[in-house]
Amino acid sequence: MKHIAPKLLGCFLGLSLALGQSTAAFAAPPSKGTMGFVIRDWFTSVYNSKFNDECPDGLTPSYDEIWWRGISREERAKITQNGLNPPLNRLPYAMRRGPKGENVCLQPDVVKDPPMRVIEGKYSYGANIDGTTDGRATAKTCKHEKFTHPDGTPGIDNQMYRLVGCIYGWRKGGLPEANAHEGRGTSGLGMILVEITGVNDKDPRNSDNVTITFHRSIDQFALDGNGKPLPYSSYNIDTENGKNRYGDKLKGSIKNGVLTTDRGDVRVPYYGGYGFMHPAIKNMALHMEIAEDGATATGQVTGYYNADEFLYWVGGMVGHATTAADCPALHVAARQLADGYPDPKTGECTHLSTAIDIKAYSAFIIHPEQKSASR
Amino acid sequence: MALQLNVIKGLLLSGVVALGFGMAGCSDGEPVAKGAPPTMRRLSNEQYRNVISDIFGPQITVAGQGDNLARADGMIAIGSRMARITPAGFEKFYNLARLISTQVVSPANRDSEFPCTPADPKVADDTCAKQFYAKVGRLLYRRPLTTAELDEAVKAANEGAKTKGSFYAGAAVGLVGMLTSPQFLFIVDETEPDPDHAGQQRLTAYAKAARLSFLLWNSTPTDDLLTAAEKGELHKDSGLEKQVDRMMASSRLDSGVRAFFEDFLRFEQFDTLEKDATIYPAFSLKVTEDAREQVLRTMIDHLITRDADYRELFTTRKTFVTGPLARIYRIPVTRPSGNAWQPYEFPEGDLHAGILTQIGFAAVASHPGRSSPTLRGRAMRESLLCQKVPDPPGDVDFSKFEDSDSPNRTARERLTAHRSMEACAGCHKITDPIGLGLENLDGAAQQRTTENGAVIDTSGDLDGIQFKDAVGLGKAFHDHPATANCVVDRLATYAFARVPRTEDKAYVTYLQKSFANDGYRFAPLLKRIALSDAFTAVAPAKTEQAQLETKP
Amino acid sequence: MSILLPRKIPRRTALRGMLNGAAVTLGIPFLDCFLDNKGKALAATGQSLPVRFGTWYWGMGHTPGHAITEKAKSGVGIDFLKETASLKPFEKQINFFGNFGMPLDGRSNYTHFTGWVGSRTGSIPQRQGDIPATTIDLLIADEIGNDTRFKVIDASSTGLPRDNYSARSAESRAETEVSAIALYARLFGPDFVDPNSGNFKPDPNIMLEKSVLSGFSGVSKAYLAKLGASDRERMDEYFTSIRQLEIQMSKRLEKPEPNVACLKPQPPKEAQVDKIAAAREMPNVIETHKVMAKLLAMAVACDQTRVFNMSFTDANGNVRRPGESSTHHLLTHAELVDPALGYQPQTFWFNTQCSEGFATYLETLSSIKEGDGTLLDNCLIMATSETNYAKVHTIDGIPIYLAGKAGGRMKTGMHVVGSGDPLTRIGLTAMKIMGVQAQSWGTKSMQTSKPLSEIMV
Repeated sequence: MKHIAPKLLGCFLGLSLALGQSTAAFAAPPSKGTMGFVIRDWFTSVYNSKFNDECPDGLTPSYDEIWWRGISREERAKITQNGLNPPLNRLPYAMRRGPKGENVCLQPDVVKDPPMRVIEGKYSYGANIDGTTDGRATAKTCKHEKFTHPDGTPGIDNQMYRLVGCIYGWRKGGLPEANAHEGRGTSGLGMILVEITGVNDKDPRNSDNVTITFHRSIDQFALDGNGKPLPYSSYNIDTENGKNRYGDKLKGSIKNGVLTTDRGDVRVPYYGGYGFMHPAIKNMALHMEIAEDGATATGQVTGYYNADEFLYWVGGMVGHATTAADCPALHVAARQLADGYPDPKTGECTHLSTAIDIKAYSAFIIHPEQKSASR
Repeated sequence: MALQLNVIKGLLLSGVVALGFGMAGCSDGEPVAKGAPPTMRRLSNEQYRNVISDIFGPQITVAGQGDNLARADGMIAIGSRMARITPAGFEKFYNLARLISTQVVSPANRDSEFPCTPADPKVADDTCAKQFYAKVGRLLYRRPLTTAELDEAVKAANEGAKTKGSFYAGAAVGLVGMLTSPQFLFIVDETEPDPDHAGQQRLTAYAKAARLSFLLWNSTPTDDLLTAAEKGELHKDSGLEKQVDRMMASSRLDSGVRAFFEDFLRFEQFDTLEKDATIYPAFSLKVTEDAREQVLRTMIDHLITRDADYRELFTTRKTFVTGPLARIYRIPVTRPSGNAWQPYEFPEGDLHAGILTQIGFAAVASHPGRSSPTLRGRAMRESLLCQKVPDPPGDVDFSKFEDSDSPNRTARERLTAHRSMEACAGCHKITDPIGLGLENLDGAAQQRTTENGAVIDTSGDLDGIQFKDAVGLGKAFHDHPATANCVVDRLATYAFARVPRTEDKAYVTYLQKSFANDGYRFAPLLKRIALSDAFTAVAPAKTEQAQLETKP
Repeated sequence: MSILLPRKIPRRTALRGMLNGAAVTLGIPFLDCFLDNKGKALAATGQSLPVRFGTWYWGMGHTPGHAITEKAKSGVGIDFLKETASLKPFEKQINFFGNFGMPLDGRSNYTHFTGWVGSRTGSIPQRQGDIPATTIDLLIADEIGNDTRFKVIDASSTGLPRDNYSARSAESRAETEVSAIALYARLFGPDFVDPNSGNFKPDPNIMLEKSVLSGFSGVSKAYLAKLGASDRERMDEYFTSIRQLEIQMSKRLEKPEPNVACLKPQPPKEAQVDKIAAAREMPNVIETHKVMAKLLAMAVACDQTRVFNMSFTDANGNVRRPGESSTHHLLTHAELVDPALGYQPQTFWFNTQCSEGFATYLETLSSIKEGDGTLLDNCLIMATSETNYAKVHTIDGIPIYLAGKAGGRMKTGMHVVGSGDPLTRIGLTAMKIMGVQAQSWGTKSMQTSKPLSEIMV
């Protein structure tokens, strides 16, 4: 995670209060004890060193590379019309390389690929989620290796990073998530609202006891002329049969503008790679630094991501070349690396610890039943 | 929703008429009208659009416009009677006329536009052409056409039909002629001898109809009104009042009231308003459009729908917003996308109260990338209080107080330095103290409490009325006697298209007193002007013998 | 009521309309001085090349001491400094006029207004907004602009329609074209007759439309008699405008001579040039100007007009850089002079852009070959601003350029020193070069009857 250290922020609102100024500027919305944000950026947090030290053997080979290696020179010539067809045209062949022409992303068990390369480095962003110092197995976790945060904090859990960190498409700025980000920006799908209630009206940046509720919005992002999100827009909560479709809650507090929460299971909407889902992030916590002017916030979501949901998303993604992942190997590795929520029958873990970098914009959250709003 | 509002408005208005401003003629103390020379006003672009839409229907696109009228003596209405049509300006009207005429005679529209069907659509048809031009010509020229005018149009249509092999194409040719004629483009006050006052002139009934119609609806007289004129009803008090009441009860009164306030508040500034996208990313073109509409909606709602005190426009927290505006005001709306207008009342504690704090004022009277207490102060004084602020002297070195690296972090500090220069002090003392009252609103009218890290002090006084912040400033405007007097003065100026002269002073004073007695309600004021003798009184034109062809 | 038909505007009527308020005295009867054409013969057709007049406007003057080295007396050679370095390649096609004065006769200097009005009309405004006389371009257009499709064409790259420094009075100030696309449509749209297209056929509809125009603009004598004197004048100007449109229509009925210099340009792309939301951001101003300059130059080459006005930036300095809170105008006042550089750095940047804009304009005109020279050689371009040093709004020493050789009628490459003489001497000279038989120009202390003979051939 980008280093989020609590720092002494000059409290803008407190200052104006002290001087007897009108507090209207940024204080109006928290007057009902609430603050709202809409999450715009949602990227798996990856630590990339300058010389790829975390992947000492290089990045993991992509699925079409593996396929290419496995066929003869004659077959190559035939499929590519003597090399005239561009690589993208090879994709359907590369995907359908099961013994009976099965799509190996949808049926990853039909072939056995060489193991993929995973992160071997020491550092990762994220949080200590299991509470152990050594990653030993607990009732809710499986044995795994810990990372150290680049800021020196030990005990970091981030098996998702370990899994995807050496895949080309998940390096920083990698296409699958960049595309997903783009898609969210224009589709209005997968928009997460963060509503903070119990905010101290007199000093919203220091509120001991707040509740954080996660909703989905059905309104489009409000963007400026350059396509950047605008703060202070209003978003209606998505409902189903009149009831909030999401709405999971966490407890937390705000200190000097930094929001931290306890952990709990939270279902959030997710859209990307032309697919929509609502993963439940287990044992999730939100850490968010609210900018002094209250307009934006940056932070990190940590918790356990369901490995099947992740694999399903990758498998269903159109245009696998952008991910450069090899589905059969990814499935094997994901199960091996999963560190959370053992299956009661098999004892094998089903979830991957993860960290997600977010950026959010101040928003008014409109409740359907109240027709009132909060920010 | 709109329908509902109109119904409510209708009820309110009829109620008001019954209760309050049902005045018979002008017998309630109106000073004797002196009259002024007749005017010849060029149609404004808005009037042009309204007229075309009223006569030919909203399906006719008016794609373009003539040159915008220039402001003279503070009002565009005065500019309209001085405006000239330059070659480039005429070319625009001509092209517009061609576009409109083509649409009017198009197969899609001709059935509804023509009162008749030609015997053979491929050849000229005198009878049908005559019927068509008589119908539209009366509305375009605001009076029945003369025989010669009608003949000219039919002649053009016939020639056109012959050249183009189509009755309708020919009819379009004559229509282009009408739409580019001086009778259409200029609203001329035609006069006739006054039978009640020997030796004096009066406006013809048709000219009166045009004055009423452009004042109240900002468009050409309707068939009803022209018929009333034809019957001589507009020369009688009762007939006149009947027409004015009818027009004021119509939802089209909105157009007339909007037109006045667009002129009064110098809305042409919106046409070239530009905000820096990096500094104010939320300020889009849509915001500019909506900000303009917001002011007008607030005014129509306050002054017409709710028939409320004009002065409360400066304090009211009630307004209407869209998603783009809400992002600037930082307020919640239930329909953030699209063009949905929704009523909104700013809560206590919010500094947005009254029209001074709306984007349509505070951001317009600002620079592209920052606020300007001086521009705001000047706009408040000149537009809203009718006070004149002198132009800045020509030889001032501004560096000392405008340097952004100087220790003067807030506008107040910079302008205090400014006022320390004698040459500047005189005017800046007039503009800045009130302009600084809005400093909690930045150049886009977004709320803020600090500038460059320093807390902004918005206290000040307006001609002795103390205030602490923007809300207090609005209250000070509410209480300032010039606020109400100014709008009366400007409405009279607008209606007469001239600056009130010395001999009009008694009339304006009379209007101002009546305005106060009527609880500062706008509709009664408008009605009083529409019914007054002064509105239609004419003095002889400053003519010489017409010498157009003979002057050496 | 009878109608005056047909409405052929008598020459005198038209003339009176045109010269409304002009502070110019004509030496010989108007008709006698018509078309004194000294242009060179174009071998291909035997046609003579007309000499054209253009103005170019930029706001906020320049930085004294950093634009052009001052001189004690007139002479050949202009010493372009850093701010005007981009004009150096055009030294031989330019005259620069320094240290000319604008005596106010006790009237106020209405900042950002008096300067442009005085330099373009030869008269000092009585109040803000007052344009007391006809601007020089229209005086010249009345002389040379009667035989082309358009008498004058105005364009501005700032997106401000009122940003037109051409007018007959405050009330008779046409809006300038601010959209390059609209400018293209006006010049090269369906009404443009390409002189080089082989198959010219006069459109019969034009005759019809023309006769209708004349017919409908007729109003009765009785109607006119009732109008006040000033309203009659306004009506008169309206008739003059119709006459102008009739001329435009007549031109479309004539088969134009082939013209090798004329190449109908491609329409500009919308996204490129019509950025209304940020029209006054310098990159957009520069882009729009570039496109408009090309259109104007080609309109002139195609003889659609012989008088053309371009304003690059406006007299109130509303232009700005993206992301900056201060406009050019605010900077001229607010910015401190950098002691090391000796000027206001940001203001200097804008001023430099203006010089570059003018260089682009001249480059565009000279890129079109005409006869054995360029279009610029057959033009006289007068470039003015409203102030000398914007920081303190000085109006003495307003920088003025005359560029182009006016078909061989003007000597160039000179720095002409005014020694405080009224700047109307420059305009009078330009008028004489363009064939206006003016004996004097200007009013009160601005009146002069002394042209600058040193630049006249």
